[in-house]
Amino acid sequence: MNPDDLLVLPGNWNFDYRYFAGATASRFFAELRDNRRIMGRRCPSCRRLLIPARSYCDACYVETGDWEEAGLEGTVEAFAIIATQFPGLPEPPLVIGFVTLDGADSAILNFVRGVDLSDVEAAGRRLFEQTRVRVVFAGDPQGRITDFHFVPVNQRTS
Amino acid sequence: MSDPLGIIGVGQTPYRKRNPGLSAGELVRIAVTEALADAGVGPDAIDCVIGGVAPDALSGIADIDKAAIALPGKPYFRINTGGATGSSALLAAKTWIEAGRGDVVLVVALERMGQATTAQSIFNTIFDPVYEKDFVLTTITMAALRATMLMRRDGFAGEHWAGIAARNFTQATLNPLVVGAKARSVQDVLDSPVLAWPIRRYEACPISEGACAVIVARGELARSRSTAWIRGTGAYSDTYAMGDRMRRPEGSLIEMVPLRRAADRAYREAGITDPLAQVDVLELQAPFAIIEAMAYPALGLSDIDGNRRFVEDVIAGRVPIAINPSGGAQAANPVSATALIRVAEAALQVRGRAGARQVPDARLALATGQGGATQFSTVVLLGSELP
Repeated sequence: MNPDDLLVLPGNWNFDYRYFAGATASRFFAELRDNRRIMGRRCPSCRRLLIPARSYCDACYVETGDWEEAGLEGTVEAFAIIATQFPGLPEPPLVIGFVTLDGADSAILNFVRGVDLSDVEAAGRRLFEQTRVRVVFAGDPQGRITDFHFVPVNQRTS
Repeated sequence: MSDPLGIIGVGQTPYRKRNPGLSAGELVRIAVTEALADAGVGPDAIDCVIGGVAPDALSGIADIDKAAIALPGKPYFRINTGGATGSSALLAAKTWIEAGRGDVVLVVALERMGQATTAQSIFNTIFDPVYEKDFVLTTITMAALRATMLMRRDGFAGEHWAGIAARNFTQATLNPLVVGAKARSVQDVLDSPVLAWPIRRYEACPISEGACAVIVARGELARSRSTAWIRGTGAYSDTYAMGDRMRRPEGSLIEMVPLRRAADRAYREAGITDPLAQVDVLELQAPFAIIEAMAYPALGLSDIDGNRRFVEDVIAGRVPIAINPSGGAQAANPVSATALIRVAEAALQVRGRAGARQVPDARLALATGQGGATQFSTVVLLGSELP
C-alpha cells in the first residue's frame, strides 16, 4: 500500500489521579509547610537517616524510627542541566540535583536555582567544583516537594 | 546436572521509528514466524508463551500484549521489568522449563512506542509522584544524573560519551535490522544539541519499535540443532528511589550493584574467572554511553580506578572483546524488546549467524539487561558449546 494511504488515528491518554502519599510523607510535607523543616526518619538497624522521609528502610526492610531534622545545607551528589524542551514537561533551562543534606544519609531531588546557565558547559564544570548548596523555602508553601529549592552556597557573581 | 537449555531459534523485525503499515499483532507474528522457521519447529512444538512488554503507555493501549498474543491456546504470562523486560522474560522461560512444566518456550517481546508522540513525558510517569516526579525526571535526565556522578568521580568528559556513542552508531551500519543507521563521528555527537547536560541528542538512543522472539528448548530438540547454550545467568533487583542509593556501603548508584551481582553469579555458573579473556562478545543494554561505561567494572572487565582508561581503550579498539557488534541499545532501543534483542544477538553470534556483524570465532557471548533506574539487571551468558 502507498504509505500515504495508511490510516493513522489520533488518540490520547489523559486520566486524572489522586496520589496517596501515606502518613510518613504527609508528615514530611506538613513539617516543610508549617515549620520550614526538612525531616527524615532513621533506620534503627543500619542507622541511616533517610531524607526524604521513608516509613521503612529499603535496605534493611524494617520500619524506620524517630523523626530527625536535617541541616539546611548539603552536598550535590548528582545533577543534570535540562536544556531542551520536551512536550508536557517544564520549560528549560533547569538544573536538577540529588542533594544529601547535612546529617542525612540519602539524597533528595529538587531544582538547583541561581546557577548562571548562559553557558551550559561552563555551568556543568562549575557545578563539579561547587557542590555545596543551601535550601531556600518558597514564600507560599503548599505542602509539596516544590515548597523549597536549592541554591549554590557562596554563589559567584559572574 | 539438569538437562542443558539453549536458544534454538531467533526472529526479529527490523527496528524503526514507526511502523504505520503493521499492527502490534503483525509485528509479533513476523518475529515469531521467523523464530519458528529458524528453529525448524512448528507452533505445536511450543509448550508455553511468555510475553514481554514494559510500560503500556508507550503504545497507548493498556496490556497491549493481549492484543498481540502469539499462538493462542498455550499457557501464557507477561513479564515487565522495564528495560530489562526481554531478558527477564527469557529467564522466566528458563525457570519454567527447569521446573519441568515443558521443554520448549517461545519468548516474545514487543515495543510499539512509535505510537507515542510524547515519549519523555510518558517516561516521567515511571517516577515517584510524591517526592520526585515534579523534577523533570525522564530516561534522559536519569542518564544525565549518573553521567555527572561518573564525570566527577572518574574524570570522564563529554569526549568519552561521544566516543562510545560514535562507535555504537557506526557499528549499527553493519546491522540491517537497525533501519536508518547512520555512522556518526565523535565530532558529530559533540556538535549535536544538549538535551540534558551532559547528554547530547546524538548520544541518546532513538525511538524504536519492533518485536523480537526467541525459542528456548532442552533435550534432544536442542542437541539436534544449531543452539546457543545457556551457560550462566543472573538477575537481581535494587531499590526504587535513586536518592536512597547514593551513599551505600555495598555501592552507590553508579556502581550498578545488581549488575555486578548478576555477572558474578553468571560467571560462577559458567566457570568464568577472567571475563575479559574468556568472553568473546558483549551485547550491552546500554541506551546511553554512560550506562555502557558504568557496566564495564560491574561486569569485571575493568576496575573503577582504571575504568576511564578502559573506556579509552574501547573507543580506540584496543580491547580483546567485541562490544555491541549490533550497534547495541544505543543505536536501536525498542524498550520492551531491547534486552531480549541483546540475548538474540548474542545467540546469533555464538551460532555463527550474525551476517555482516558476525564476530569471527565467537564462542562465548554475554548479554545484559537493565530496567528502571538500573533497578533491574540481568546477565545471560551464551556459548557455542554444551555446558
